[in-house]
Amino acid sequence: MESPLHHFEVHTIVPIHIGGLDLSINNAVVAMWVGLAVIGGMFMLPAKKGLSLIPGKLQSVLEIAIEFIRNLVYEFIGEEEGRKYVPFIASLFLFVLACNLIGLLPGSYTITSQLVVTGVFATGIFLMTLVIGFSKHGGHFLSILVPPGIPKILIPVMIPIEIISMLARPISLAVRLFANMTAGHTVLAVLFGLAMTGPLWLGWLPFGFTVIINGLEIAIAFIQAYIFTTLTCVYIGDVIKLH
Amino acid sequence: MQIAFRLGTELTVATIIGGLLGYAFDYFFGSKPWGLVVGIVFGVAAGCLGVYRVAMTLTNEEEYNDKD
Repeated sequence: MESPLHHFEVHTIVPIHIGGLDLSINNAVVAMWVGLAVIGGMFMLPAKKGLSLIPGKLQSVLEIAIEFIRNLVYEFIGEEEGRKYVPFIASLFLFVLACNLIGLLPGSYTITSQLVVTGVFATGIFLMTLVIGFSKHGGHFLSILVPPGIPKILIPVMIPIEIISMLARPISLAVRLFANMTAGHTVLAVLFGLAMTGPLWLGWLPFGFTVIINGLEIAIAFIQAYIFTTLTCVYIGDVIKLH
Repeated sequence: MQIAFRLGTELTVATIIGGLLGYAFDYFFGSKPWGLVVGIVFGVAAGCLGVYRVAMTLTNEEEYNDKD
């Protein structure tokens, strides 16, 4: 019987070695490319055909998606400040969502179930918030470490606490997405294993569960992409508003 | 409601970060085990503070919505 963790393994498809670096094309990279191609294609298609004032089916779906993300950004960052972050947040949301959903297709690869990938996203976002904060407020940005309205005696205690909670943000962001995707896919794989090994009069039960849990996983794919982007907006909004 | 999902990881991760920072402090300054102890205490405090903040924003929003 196959291990339930089998589908998280990375296989090299085209080996490329430059210097000491292993830049091989593996199934994870291919899954990422497919995700990019799906989003790019979905947005290029109506744009190529010519945007119409009365949107067609695909165009309305995409308009709803973009409007939803724009409202999200405006809510957490603010309307004037948030405008320039809409493209970034929208691409982040759509990419994470596409990767989550592509992972649900049988035989494909869930790129967001790798801690490296989510970790790079989260680290990038964390560094971005630092850059935004320092470029916007300069040295005054460090006052984010001191919450407003606390007595002066508590400041030496609050600064380490605030530093820890700042550092905890990217890690919890990365771990949440990774853990949700990994756990869901492992459950699916275990149930499939049970369904395949058991006799038919027993095997239908876990198989039925896989169908239900697949539906749940689709919901989780959306929710996790939503949470990831919402928290990104919250973090960017925090450094812009400084409390 | 979706924001409430983050509460669980927030608490755990803050504690782990605090512990790691404390452990690193011990490693570099040879102050075993006090850095770890203080680090974990700060980590727990940071986690509780984070959860408290999120919970407060949630309650404030609810009250705000109730007024409408």
